Amino acid sequence: MNTDFEQHGCTGCQQTPQWRQDFPIEWEGDHYVSRREMVKFLTLGSLLLAGANWVTALASRFLHRGSRAERFIGLASSLDQTRSMLFRYPTDQDPCLAVRTPEGKLVAYSQVCTHLSCAVIYDKAQNGLFCPCHHGLFNLEGQPVAGPPTRPLPRVQLEQRGDRIYAVGMEG
Amino acid sequence: MSVRRQGTILFAAVLALVATAVVIQLWLLTVSMEALLSGEFKTLVPAAAGSTLLLAVNAGLLRYVFHFDRDAHGE
Repeated sequence: MNTDFEQHGCTGCQQTPQWRQDFPIEWEGDHYVSRREMVKFLTLGSLLLAGANWVTALASRFLHRGSRAERFIGLASSLDQTRSMLFRYPTDQDPCLAVRTPEGKLVAYSQVCTHLSCAVIYDKAQNGLFCPCHHGLFNLEGQPVAGPPTRPLPRVQLEQRGDRIYAVGMEG
Repeated sequence: MSVRRQGTILFAAVLALVATAVVIQLWLLTVSMEALLSGEFKTLVPAAAGSTLLLAVNAGLLRYVFHFDRDAHGE
């Protein structure tokens, strides 16, 4: 069956059919523009990611500064009797543990295990800080020596003034 | 080969490079966040510097794309 178009031709549009006038974009042009726009979009994302990285780096400065506050934690004479003492530093939500080593050295660490955040306790028999949840063990340098923990405990910097002990900062 | 076809192929190559750089930046951000939360602050500034370097590479490639696009329209 012949259509009207086949019989009479497309008068007025022999050069360009109607659909071509309605959709003048070639696939080639579409790919060209979409890839160019995608490069722009990804570069904008790259800018945001770099910004987020710097925000993270600057946030660490503020956190580090905040941990330098000084706080009285207890008396050296009472620590000498008990060998270990619990305190909170730098905030009331951060449990820490001070230990008088057998050599007489005073050390203190965060009590939060670096494995799954259980509280570590001083173990006189093993001469280390023991995590009862998964049997992790840290030596008195704060380094993991047994069990699942792989990262050291954050160390609390202490200062002894007479009989009084002060926490003055955090390391790591 | 037409300039537009050349541009399409070129933009695809640039897009692959930029996408790779963005994935590396995402990885750097993830590592930085993990380091921040675990209190290991030493790696944060080098990670941010690396991310900025990748941004500079991406910006350079984008500039090249803009130049190519302008030249293509000029023809």
